[in-house]
Amino acid sequence: MIAVSHLGRRFGGRAAVDDVTLDVRPGEIVALLGPNGAGKTTTMRMMAGLIAPSQGSVTIDGVALTHTTGDALRGHIGFLTEAPGLWDRLTVRENLRVYAGIYEIPEPDAAIGRALDTFELRDRAATPAAELSKGMRQKVALARALLHDPSILLLDEPTSGLDPEITRGVRQLLEDRRARGCAILVSTHNLDEAERLADRIAVIQTRLLALDTPAALRKRLTAPRSVIRVGGDAVAFLPLVRSADSSATAEGSVLTASLGDAARDTPDLVRALVAAGADILEVRADVPTLEEIYLRLVGAPAAPGADIH
Amino acid sequence: MKPARLRALVGKELKDLMRNRAALWPVAISTVVFLALPFVIAIIVPATSGRPLGDDRDLVRVSAVVGAHPELTTTGRVQLFMFQQFLMVFLLMPITGAMALAAHAVVGEKLARTLEPLLATPVTTAELLVAKVVGSLIPTLAITLGALVAYLILIAATAEPGVIQGMLSARTLVLTVLVSPVAALLSLQAAIVVSSRVNDARTAQQFGVLIILPLGGILVAQFTGSLWLSATVLAFIALGLFGIWMLLTLFSIAMFERESILSKWK
Repeated sequence: MIAVSHLGRRFGGRAAVDDVTLDVRPGEIVALLGPNGAGKTTTMRMMAGLIAPSQGSVTIDGVALTHTTGDALRGHIGFLTEAPGLWDRLTVRENLRVYAGIYEIPEPDAAIGRALDTFELRDRAATPAAELSKGMRQKVALARALLHDPSILLLDEPTSGLDPEITRGVRQLLEDRRARGCAILVSTHNLDEAERLADRIAVIQTRLLALDTPAALRKRLTAPRSVIRVGGDAVAFLPLVRSADSSATAEGSVLTASLGDAARDTPDLVRALVAAGADILEVRADVPTLEEIYLRLVGAPAAPGADIH
Repeated sequence: MKPARLRALVGKELKDLMRNRAALWPVAISTVVFLALPFVIAIIVPATSGRPLGDDRDLVRVSAVVGAHPELTTTGRVQLFMFQQFLMVFLLMPITGAMALAAHAVVGEKLARTLEPLLATPVTTAELLVAKVVGSLIPTLAITLGALVAYLILIAATAEPGVIQGMLSARTLVLTVLVSPVAALLSLQAAIVVSSRVNDARTAQQFGVLIILPLGGILVAQFTGSLWLSATVLAFIALGLFGIWMLLTLFSIAMFERESILSKWK
């Protein structure tokens, strides 16, 4: 388990990270979200012991990460950096072999073989890293981060630049690692990936804005909406719907309303619409997307068309 | 310091270097030039000009520093003096090329973005820096040793009879086995310090050039005959250089700021 408490880091007079407290438990994936420059990479670097916090602390498996303990504790962590950072003149196998030596892996050839198989890199083992595509380089970097079977994974945008097939493979791999008890922190801009993968979402913008499960964040930050599609133009029924929700909208044949208790109030509204002569074609609950939650948290305006009005 | 980690890192440095042929050219060229230079001056020029070295009074006078060698002709004694004097410079010069590589060692990793994943491992600063130095030192010494063998073979083939026997002395041994490796170690360590403190490769190379200036001083002193170091003095110099290297290593570890390397370098 890796935990940070009141973590902060200043560069000169500027706070890159301020008072962040979060933990990643064994068998859990936490997605770290935030705009560019929000302090995600700095937070991860502090968690990996690469830079020292200006305030607060990092503990790994109960041991405080300090200058003295850093070298040993880094052995518990697999860190995927923003750039793959491969030695271009070395082959894929040689790149992995150096790290196998650094981590003092007892049977390096077997470990490297497993990593090559996991990432389907066996046929590229003898290829110099300089000749690999961006996706392949990212796969090698991931293989390197997992080579020593770490109990903690810190992954800075692991699927950035990867094609959908490889992305799915990486996602599957992270799920497998989670099942084996690995504590995984994933920094990403891909909200869909965060939604699919993460048990909890941490949103950071210098400070920690939220840390919870996607469902709990939805419940806390957005109201559920009922979407009703009627035959013909919905505008005719808007006054009726606005009697239940003054912010209700109509667009084309679709009415959208946020009701206090959707389960109780939606049938009443549908009955009223039917009584008013509406032909009801579809009724469904509209679950707010993680993107809406995220944009609300970071205070950015929603993109046009991101919502139904 | 863990041997397995050092082996892994040094192995990486050597593989990387061996595949970087372009970077090895300066080392090879400086070695060949400094291998050829003594023979041009001591053998080819006198032979083509028709003026044997033994006819030059100044050279005969300064060559007395090599001691009495009754088995040698006057020209042979001047040749021995010149080959001995060039030996020191010749042994140190390959370091200049290797220093360009060492100066690039840390900043090069940073620019290639390979340093951050490396620093995220349990590797200690001492392991990282020692591996960098050893990774540059091994090829430097291999080149120097190979060139030394060629130097002695060429002396045996071209110089006056008895000069090669004069070269096989305690002084040559001390220079080869002690002074040259320790000077290389010290210079490369200095280059690594520079590489750890600058943030672009060109600056590293510019500072690297400054480190070889003392070698230039030795070169001038050698040719004027004002510097003649006996085997004992050379052994003490090697010991002193070794002490300085140890201090410099501790200094370079203290000066290596992982954090500013990652957060301030662009």
